[in-house]
Parts: sequence; C-alpha cells; structure tokens
Amino acid sequence: MKFNWKPYILTLIVLLILFPFVYMVLLSLASEWRFPDLLPSYFGLRNWLKIIGSETGLLHSFLISVSISLSVATVSTLSGFFISRSVSYHPKKRVLTLLTYFPYILAPVVFAACLSYFFLRMGLFGNATGVIVAQFMITFPYALIFFSSFWNQRTKNLEDLVATLGGNQLQTFFKMLFPIAKGMLLICFFQTFLISWFEYGLTSIIGVGKVQTLTIKVFLFIKEANFYYGALSCCLLIFPPVVLLYLNKRYVFNKLV
Amino acid sequence: MRNKFSHIGLVFFVLIGVIPFAAAFIYALLYSLGIVGVLNSGFTLQHWQTVLASSEVFKSFGYSALVAAISVVISVSFALWLALKFRKEFDQKILSFIIYLPLAIPGVVAAFFTFQLFSRAGFFSRLAYQLGWINEVSQFPDLVNDALATGIIITFITIVMPFFVLLFLNVYKNERVGNLSELAYSLGASSKQVLWRVSLPVILRKTWTLIALYFIFLLGAYEIPLLLGQESPQMLSVLIIREIKQFDLSKISEGYAIAIIYTIVVSVAVSALFSRKNKTLNEI
Amino acid sequence: MHNINVSILLVLLLFTIVACENDPTQDSLNIQEMSWEDISDQAKGSTVNFMMWQGDADINDYINNYVAPTLKEKYNIRLNIIGGQGPEIVQLVMGEKQAGVKKGQADIVWINGETFFQLRKIEGLWGPFVQKLPNAQYIDFDNSFINTDFQQPVNNMEAPWGINQFAIIYDSAQISNPPRNLQELENFIKANPGFFTISNDFSGMTLLKSFLAELSGSPTGLDGPFDEEKYQKLSTRLWDYINRNKRYFWKEGTTFPKEHSKMNQMFASGELKISFGFSEGGVESKVRQGLYPKSTRAYAWDNGTIRNANYLGITYNSSNKAAAMEVINFLISPEAQLKKSDPTGMDSNPVLSIDKLDPEWKSKFEASPKRIYGAQLSDLANKAIQEPAPEYMIRLYEDFRKKVIEK
Repeated sequence: MKFNWKPYILTLIVLLILFPFVYMVLLSLASEWRFPDLLPSYFGLRNWLKIIGSETGLLHSFLISVSISLSVATVSTLSGFFISRSVSYHPKKRVLTLLTYFPYILAPVVFAACLSYFFLRMGLFGNATGVIVAQFMITFPYALIFFSSFWNQRTKNLEDLVATLGGNQLQTFFKMLFPIAKGMLLICFFQTFLISWFEYGLTSIIGVGKVQTLTIKVFLFIKEANFYYGALSCCLLIFPPVVLLYLNKRYVFNKLV
Repeated sequence: MRNKFSHIGLVFFVLIGVIPFAAAFIYALLYSLGIVGVLNSGFTLQHWQTVLASSEVFKSFGYSALVAAISVVISVSFALWLALKFRKEFDQKILSFIIYLPLAIPGVVAAFFTFQLFSRAGFFSRLAYQLGWINEVSQFPDLVNDALATGIIITFITIVMPFFVLLFLNVYKNERVGNLSELAYSLGASSKQVLWRVSLPVILRKTWTLIALYFIFLLGAYEIPLLLGQESPQMLSVLIIREIKQFDLSKISEGYAIAIIYTIVVSVAVSALFSRKNKTLNEI
Repeated sequence: MHNINVSILLVLLLFTIVACENDPTQDSLNIQEMSWEDISDQAKGSTVNFMMWQGDADINDYINNYVAPTLKEKYNIRLNIIGGQGPEIVQLVMGEKQAGVKKGQADIVWINGETFFQLRKIEGLWGPFVQKLPNAQYIDFDNSFINTDFQQPVNNMEAPWGINQFAIIYDSAQISNPPRNLQELENFIKANPGFFTISNDFSGMTLLKSFLAELSGSPTGLDGPFDEEKYQKLSTRLWDYINRNKRYFWKEGTTFPKEHSKMNQMFASGELKISFGFSEGGVESKVRQGLYPKSTRAYAWDNGTIRNANYLGITYNSSNKAAAMEVINFLISPEAQLKKSDPTGMDSNPVLSIDKLDPEWKSKFEASPKRIYGAQLSDLANKAIQEPAPEYMIRLYEDFRKKVIEK
C-alpha cells in the first residue's frame, strides 16, 4: 500500500496561495503590531474607517488607478487589435515584430527615465494623461504581439471570403473579426489592465509623485514605515484583479480552451 | 481601400511602437555623450570612460543575471514538477481558479509581503522568538536586503512560478502531451523515459523562448530589488535610476551610459531569440 | 528598410519640434513690485503644488490635516502635495529648464543647503521674495544658523521653515555611558559588535560631516568654502576609520541601510543600540508612538553635531508665485508654527524668534506643551556646529559608496 502524499502537498499549495491574501487583510486590520508580538495589540476596522474618511486620499488613488488602467487597457487592446493586422499582413512581418519587442522587454522604469524629457516637452509630465500615454507605450507592444497569432492564414482566408461575398471593411470587422476574436480581446484587455494596474517605476517617473496611483501609495506607506496602511492599499490593489480573474476565468478561458 | 487602411495601421505602428523607443535611445545616447543636458558642455567620451573603467556596471550585470537565472531555474523546475504531478487535480473546479490567484499579486505587493514575513522583525522572526528558537532579533538569519539576495529570489519565484505552472498546464493540453505519453507507454517506454524523452522535451521546446523572455524581464526588474535589495551590488534598473537621479549632477550622464549598455544588451538578446524563428507570445 | 528610414525621419522631426526653446514666464517681475494686498488677492482661489519629503507620518499628518484644510478655509487655496526631495527636486527643475517648460510642476519646494546650492547653480529658484512676506518680521535673520545655509548666504531666496539639530540616540536603560567621540565609538562597537550602522542617505551623511569636523580638530574646522585639500586629508582618515571598524557594524558592515527610516525601525526592534537623526534625534514622537522605550535619550557629539534650518523656495517657473508666497507666509505664521511645534504632532522647533512676537502669541508659545522624553533644541545649543559647504556632502555621498559600501 503506497502512501498517498498528494493531498497534503495540494493542501500546502492552496494554503501558500491563500496566505498572502489573508495576511494582507489581517495586517490591514491591525495596528501597533511590534516585535516580538505574534498577534497585534489592536485588531479591528479602525484603519479602514479612517481610509473611508479619505484622510490619506486612498479612495482617490483607487479611482485614479481604475480610470488610468481602464483607459490604457481599452486603448491598447483596440489599437493593438487593428494595428497588429497591418503588421501581420505586411511582407516584412518578422522585422516589424522584432521592433515591437524592443520597447516590450525594456524595463519600463528605464524607458520612462529616457523618455521623460519628451513628456516634459509635451506637457505630459505629472498628469494622468501623461501616465496613460506612457503606460500605453508599454502595453501597446504587448497587445501587438498578443494579437499577431490571430492574423494567420485562416483569418485572412475568412476575410477574403467576406470580401468575395460582397462585404465591406466595416462588415468584415464587426460581423466577422470581432465575434471570432472576442475571447482574445477579453484576455488582452485583462492583461493590459493588469500591466497598467501593477505599474510602479514608470508611473513614479512620468507622474512625478503627483499622479498617486495605488502602487505609488503602497511605496509611500512603506517608506513611512506605516505597514498597516501599506497593507490596506495592497488589499485595494490585489482584490480587483481577483474579481477580474474570476470573471475572466469563468467566461473566457472556458470558452477558449 | 484595404491598402490605405493597412498603411494607416503601419503609420500608427511606427508612431507608437517604434518612435518612442528610438527617441528614448537617442536621447540617452546624446546625454551620455554630453551633447544634451543642462550641465553638459558638448561632446565628450569621458562619461563612457568612467563607466567602463569602474567595475560597478559589470558587477551589477553579473549580479542581476545570476539572481534572474537562479529564480527562473528554480521556478521552471518547480512549475514543471507541479504541472506534471498535479495536472488532473488542477483541473478540478475550485483548484483551477485558485491556481490563477497569484496572478493578482503585483511585484510591489509581493516584495512588501516578503519583507513583512522574512525581515528580522517580521512574522517568521516573531514566530521563532515565541518558539524560543532565538532570543534576539539579530539571531534571525538575514533574509531581506542581504548579500545573497535571498529576499529578491524568493519574491521573484513567487511572482514567476505560478505563471509557469499555468503555462505548462496549457501547453500540456494543447500539445497533447498526454496522448504522446500514452503512445510512448504503449510502445514499451518506462515512466522515466516518458518524462525525460517525451513530456519535458515537448513542453520545453514549446516554451523556452518565453522562459528566456522572463529571464530578461527579471534582469530589468525594478520595484522588487528596490525594496529587498542591498546597497551594493544593485540590480540593473535600480542602479540606472540611482545614477540618473543622483545628487551629483555632473554624473547623471553616466546613468544614461549604463542605460544604453543595458538597452543594447537586451535588444541583442531579443533579436537573437526571435530573428531565427517567428515565435510569438501566445501564453495562456 | 523603408520603415526604418521613415522612423529615423520621424524621430528627427520630433527632435526638431521639441528643440525650439521657450522663454520662461515674465510675470514674475510684476509680483516683486506688487503690494502684499494685491499678491493676496491674486492668490485667492488657486492651486499650489508643494513638493516635499513625505517620509514621515507626523509631517504628512500636519500637512494633510492641518495646513491644507486651513489654507482652503482661510485663503481658498488648494494645496497639492508632490512627493520628492533633494535630487528629485533638482532633477525635475533641471528637466523642466532643459525642456523649456513654462508652467512648472512644483511651485513650492522644501529644501536645504545642498539642494539650494544645486538649484542656484541651475538658476532654478525665483526670488528674492522672503522680504515681501509679512510674517518674515518674526524671523531673526541675524542668526547665523538661519541666514546661512550650508555656508551660503540665503539672501531672501528661500524662507526658513524649521530649525533643528542632529543628535545621537541610545537607550539609557541599556547603556550608561554612550560614546561621545570617535575613539569612544570605536571602543563601544568593539564591545557591542553589530549594533551600529550608518544609513546611506541624508541623515547618514550628516553624521559623517560631524565625524569629519571632529577629525579636523575643531567644531569650526569645516567652515568656509569647500577646500579640496582639506577634504582629501580628512576624508582619507574617515574612510580608514570606518573601514577599519566596519566589521563591528550591523551585518559586519557588508551592507548599509538605504533609508534612515529603516534605522528607526531597527533601533525600535533592538537591532541597533545607537542611532541618530535630525530634530534632536526625533525621540519624542517615537516614544509617544510606543516605538522607542521611554528611556531613550538624545545627545550631541563632544565636538558638536550639525544644526541647520530647512527652507521653502519658489521655483523659477512656478505658474502661481503669488499663491506660493501666500502659502509660505502662512507656513511661517505664528499660528502654523505653533501647531507645527506640538510635541504630540510634527514636533518641529519654531523658526520664529519668540521675542519678536506679539505678547499674545508670545504667551501662547511659552504656555505650549514641551517635550517630555526628547531633548530640547536649547539643550544641545552649546554643541551646535554649522553645516559645511554643500560640496562636502556631495563628495561624502559619492565616496561613502565608492570607498566603503563597494569595498
């Protein structure tokens, strides 16, 4: 009779995955939790109530983050979808795709540091628009690369078929391409949303600390050594993606696979 | 009609995908050569000489590459093991959702979390104290901001490994590795042979470009080493930003010189990765 | 190939577009001639961007929950905080200068000597303006710790906002006789290895300046303009001292904390036995927060520790100079300074000269609660030394990294 260790490992994995989420919530509820106490001396809703009183502008940061990420994800998914078509059907497809990879693999913070002069010049420094444009510059290549596999011979044949049957460009997009790309569009939206939602270095440089997204706030609280507010902002940062993951997983991955 | 549409697409491609990168590169190059910048006074190679003469850049490169490589190797090995061993279990309803959860954790949060758990005044240190294993904070091993980059590596692994598990599970399914394995079994292969000759080669061949790409990402990681790294050597992005944002204004050009070196290295690496075969990023 | 050509062309185009310089605004001249009433009028209803260090919860609390709402209520000015200090401020202003930005991101900047020096170097500050502020009359500009910032005359180009002295801290319940000079420090860390370190930041460099002054043999040894020869001689001895002893430092001197706030946490958790800091060591608030034990004490080095003022400046391209002046005038008002000195709050010494105040405010200041745990500024007065020229700081930064950290 062989010992079955699998359930134990599985339980451990699940615990390891859930631990950060639980710990962050606990830490956000705690206060005055000092070494060597294993449990905090205060435990309750105080921090959350204070934040809702918007003393530290966390709610404001949350809203800024949401609007920036939604804009970035929408624009980069749509533009990536359309433009990757031009790139993928181009005879020099390979060279063009390679060019796309350069901004994609560069550390965003270094990219931003080298670009900040141009942002300053164009008045895009220190405002949300600038942050959106800058984040778009790194999510766009992602979207481009993401969609390049969609524009294959099969898609091209379908497009040609629609054209042969007398459909125009608009009809091709709205009646044929969008429906078959729906799953991919959603995934791309989700991924670009996450890239933007998680971005720190680039935002800190282009936003100059004025555009205080949630990641910027987390850093601020860590620097202040205010770990409880830090954990609270972490909660605000990780739970929206969890919800998105739930929706995405449910409606996209199942259909796609 | 169709052509025109296609051309507009290309113009936008160049405008958003190519120009910013080129502009950033040229600006950094000019700055490093002393041609632009308020306190620079014309063309000079002096900044480049200083950078190349000091060992700091190369140390930082080596350090970053080592940290990234260790993290990727550990992550890939563990992820392979998990994906192959628990393939069926991960298909179950709740588990199949739970394994996606780590994707919701960004680098900043992961670094913060590692710090909270592993620092000398952190959770594990308290636990050790309460259990009587240590009497003083300083007896707890150095796991954060340490010379061996333990904290950085732990965090890199927590960020990257879940992604690889999902990737391998997906490839397993799409490449019909299961069917291939059955075939191999029916032809008399042992389970060891199936693992080493069938499953692993198929999965790795399909994913190695992506693995290499993740290595490059980790090479340029910023917020995690910023929070968990030490003062010297520093990982590349941290070093570059420190040099560009430093007190001594006459040395900013050196930061841009390092940025140029970094950009060229990763660009060459990516060109080598993608120029031969037309690989694309089709993860998940 | 064709596409590459196109992109090169577009890049060049972009460069030519952005290369045309714009001149900074000219309206600043008028403000110099306007009356304070007119300036006040012009300031109403606008937004002021204040770039400041945000690394301390008490300071943030003072700004967010007292200054900002009061400004809104009294002057209808919206105060917007931007995080950033020292190099970040200089870089921002420098970048804007380079790009010819007319409306700067920051209107007011919170700075001290080395940033002042660098901003002056790139002509990034607007002024002189301090003489126009009504509340400047309460400041004693004959005090050399106020009228001179890192050996440079302030000349009304920046308004003093706070004054404080650097101090060393220890827990008197654990240590009865803390080190007061380099020799005693060496003995101390040899007897207690692992409990001392120097943060690689502004605070750490300020400690090193005190060390350098001690090596020079006198509290005034570093006064005057930067002296390369003197620096080389003294710093060689300093690095030798540190490198010789760093194996008795925290983590055997293999690494140093990046930020001073980390040292505070380590002192609180017992990882360090000796720490240091501005604001007379910052003991009061940390004890009140329960971070430090009540037996924590602050003291100055025998040869003295640095006393300095910190200042508020207006950027050359501030688009709202009138409102910036109104805000600064409020920040140095008796009301705001009294609140700022509250030991349970920001706990920062008033920069005003109490004797110059109206009797009403004078008595309010005299009746205000004093620190219970921490040392007063006056306790350290006879051990106060001047900030040396900014080049010392810049060189110490670089050499501490090159000759200690990377060794």
